[in-house]
Amino acid sequence: MNLKQLLLAGGALLGTTVAQAGGFQVTLAGQKNNGMGGVGTGLALDQASMFYNPGALAMVRERGVQIGVNATMARQAFRPQYAQYGFDRQLDNTVTTPFNVYAGFGPTEGKWRAGIAVYTPFGSKLDYADGWEGRSALTEIDLKSVFVQPTVSYAITDKLSVGAGLVVFAYGAVNLQRDIPVQNAGNGEFGHIELDGKADQKIGYNVGVYYKPLDKVSVGLSYRSQIDAHVKGGDVTFSNLPNSAVVASRFTASKFDVTLPLPATFNVGIGVMPSEKLTIGFDVNYAQWSKYKQLEFTFDQPVNGSTTSSSVRDYKNSFTFRLGGQYKVTDAFTVRLGGSLDQSPVKDGYVTPETPDANRLGATAGLSYKFGEHFGVDLSTQFISLKKRTQTQEELVANGTTDRVAGTYKTNIVIPGIGLNYTF
Amino acid sequence: MNTLQKYSSSALLLGLGLAGCQPEMHSPKYDRGTADFSKYVAVGNSLTAGFSDGGLYLEGQVYSYPNILSQQFAKVGGGPFTQPLFSDAQSNGSGYLRLAGFTTATPPDEPSPITANVTTGLAVRGFYTPPRQTTPIPLQMPPRPLYTKITDFNINNLGVPGIRLSDIETVGYGSQAGNPYFERITPDAQATQTYLARVTASNPTFFSNWLGNNDVLGYATAGGYSSFITSPTDFADKNSKVIDALTAGGAKGIVATIPDVTNVPYFTTVGPRFRAQLTRLGSTGFVALTGAGSTRKLIARDDIRNDTGGRQLLTLTSSPYLGLLGTVGGRYWRELAISQLRNPTTGAVNQLDYQTLLGALIRTAAVDTTKAFGTPENPLPSALILDDEEQQQVLTATAAFNTAIRSKAASKGLAVFDSNAFFSGVAQSGFITNGVNNTASFITGNLFSLDGVHPTPRGYAVIANEMIKAINAQYGSTIPFVNPNAYRGVRIP
Repeated sequence: MNLKQLLLAGGALLGTTVAQAGGFQVTLAGQKNNGMGGVGTGLALDQASMFYNPGALAMVRERGVQIGVNATMARQAFRPQYAQYGFDRQLDNTVTTPFNVYAGFGPTEGKWRAGIAVYTPFGSKLDYADGWEGRSALTEIDLKSVFVQPTVSYAITDKLSVGAGLVVFAYGAVNLQRDIPVQNAGNGEFGHIELDGKADQKIGYNVGVYYKPLDKVSVGLSYRSQIDAHVKGGDVTFSNLPNSAVVASRFTASKFDVTLPLPATFNVGIGVMPSEKLTIGFDVNYAQWSKYKQLEFTFDQPVNGSTTSSSVRDYKNSFTFRLGGQYKVTDAFTVRLGGSLDQSPVKDGYVTPETPDANRLGATAGLSYKFGEHFGVDLSTQFISLKKRTQTQEELVANGTTDRVAGTYKTNIVIPGIGLNYTF
Repeated sequence: MNTLQKYSSSALLLGLGLAGCQPEMHSPKYDRGTADFSKYVAVGNSLTAGFSDGGLYLEGQVYSYPNILSQQFAKVGGGPFTQPLFSDAQSNGSGYLRLAGFTTATPPDEPSPITANVTTGLAVRGFYTPPRQTTPIPLQMPPRPLYTKITDFNINNLGVPGIRLSDIETVGYGSQAGNPYFERITPDAQATQTYLARVTASNPTFFSNWLGNNDVLGYATAGGYSSFITSPTDFADKNSKVIDALTAGGAKGIVATIPDVTNVPYFTTVGPRFRAQLTRLGSTGFVALTGAGSTRKLIARDDIRNDTGGRQLLTLTSSPYLGLLGTVGGRYWRELAISQLRNPTTGAVNQLDYQTLLGALIRTAAVDTTKAFGTPENPLPSALILDDEEQQQVLTATAAFNTAIRSKAASKGLAVFDSNAFFSGVAQSGFITNGVNNTASFITGNLFSLDGVHPTPRGYAVIANEMIKAINAQYGSTIPFVNPNAYRGVRIP
């Protein structure tokens, strides 16, 4: 399977999630890992090691091909501080399908392993209710990314292996829409702007070390570099604006540029195998979100009289703690459980509708069944609860972040997923 | 295989079950605190009536801040709130201004808005013809419209456009010779009832009182040419009487201070543009009349207020005449006389009266219209400019009025909406509502309607929210806010 085929395969499923992890990260790269709270840096479970820790790939016993897909279903309630009606706003329901594809090769007894991974590490899709209070900040967002990662891994000794992947940011797309607070005399509608663009292809890397000092203990380190998603010459489309020249002349842009940092993550993991049947993993991820200072669009012509539009983000670096385990009930049947604690990179009073983020608590479960020697199915489900988070207009004024809306967000996400794998 | 099916179906069920798990927040609990909103009565002037775009009409009434408040009060036990609404067939009420478009201007000149009068669907039931006046000059003033009377006089919104606090004890203010808006809500049998008596009889459990704007505003919008400023003593006395009447039955309430009227678009829109024009033309200023007589004043170009400084304020109404500076003629005076004498139905003007009035106006101002407009002989009329001295009088009076309002409110333990402080803040840095920046700018600021003085529905919603804030703070209530963006600003063609 070459890269192009993989991409095409991905294209059919192309999608992302409602920011399944902190910020707009999506950490659903392996179906087994998904059932175990997302651990993986300190383990050598399967081909998904290419994402979690390329260094562990050489320690994965089987070679194989695996594919996974998840259905992210987010449910959100928003209670604005300045509401019009006595009920909470809800997101229009969207289902997105982040996916992952891995193919790992190498000699049966050799020290080398190589492979290729395709995954969707960042994304967000949100569709707010018509006429919602934050409409001038955002009505819809759809952020997609597909990374392709050729990977090599080498076992230096029986206990120590290293690996590296060239991360190709193969596909990135952003569609962002919001209302413009100018009402036309025709139907009283607000104006509307849609920004739609594709990101330039970029290169990054993913490196890792895996060390298994004891039979029952393994540790891993990995680092995925930052890649800037840079959209140049995206399309700007206006609708519903008044016809009068006084207004129209202020909204003449047709192209935009924007850069969105997809931050580096540093990962540490420990694996413990108390028995043949039981594997426990503990991971800590550290995402360098502080690179995300502001979201700045530049336009070829004015939007509301200005060729730039800048919005403060000031994210902070954040930790995610993950704990999960699997138990082999029989040779063919494995069950998994896990949990995660995901610290939000968004500071208090900085929450934006496109990333209605908060600290997250995740509970996961999963199972695998092997049909004979080669073929297996992995099922996983995650339930992620975002802590209820309130920001007041007073806080927004104090922070200079009044381009967003004051109120209380509460989000739950459910992500069932299925994976198929063929090992040889 | 069986095991797999069992587990996979349970996992699927788990997934679906959780997917249906819409996050719930506890139902909001709204509390009335120590106030009782079962009978809310609103006392005030045009702002309270919902006056907007230079007129009182149904849409403005529906979006009056008392009506918005009453809808929020209803969530904490507030009772029905009846307004003296115009009927659907007469929804345009007194008539109002609509935005017809914009002038085409060649930069650096900016396009100006073009407004037009809405003259259909009015609630005019007839006319009152005042008796021929004999002093200071003999004149027959034209008939004035009378508006369709309401049928149910048991109303909660007692806002009367044009009323001054100094008018509240005037007998006959609700007669045909008085204020047509008060006449409209006054039963014929009680034509002599004063506004204060009407307020006293309203017997609320909760009230809002925002009277007093017109005690400075009339003078200010007339550029100090006509009207007058109420004396602070009279103001304090009558303010006291209204509050005493409203609280006699133990009612709680909210009062509002008088905003600094010099911050409204009526005064801040034309000046900066004109100053820029004069700069381009190389003119350093002009001569204007000040006050009601013939006193002249030199207005330096760089003393016209804009973002960078200056003091002199040009009214929105000055706009059509500023282009005439430097040319010979007396168009302003002719149009002033015609506007005062024109019959509202026929459009006819009695020529004799016209000559009499025009002569008097020109004599009083000592104007020679054969000279260039803007020179000492033919100065810019006083009504088109609120100069620094006139502003000083407005500011001094506003401060005195607000002291009276605040101290009376404090003595009764009432909530206070400091609209003066609030609108000063708006003028300085705008006011953001759910991510939308609103300002005190004309048309584009969202808050002020086409008359440049009265709020838009958005502006009234913002006022309602600020009042709710003050009420919640004073009475420990938790009345929810509204989303101001759900109320329109100025709709642009």
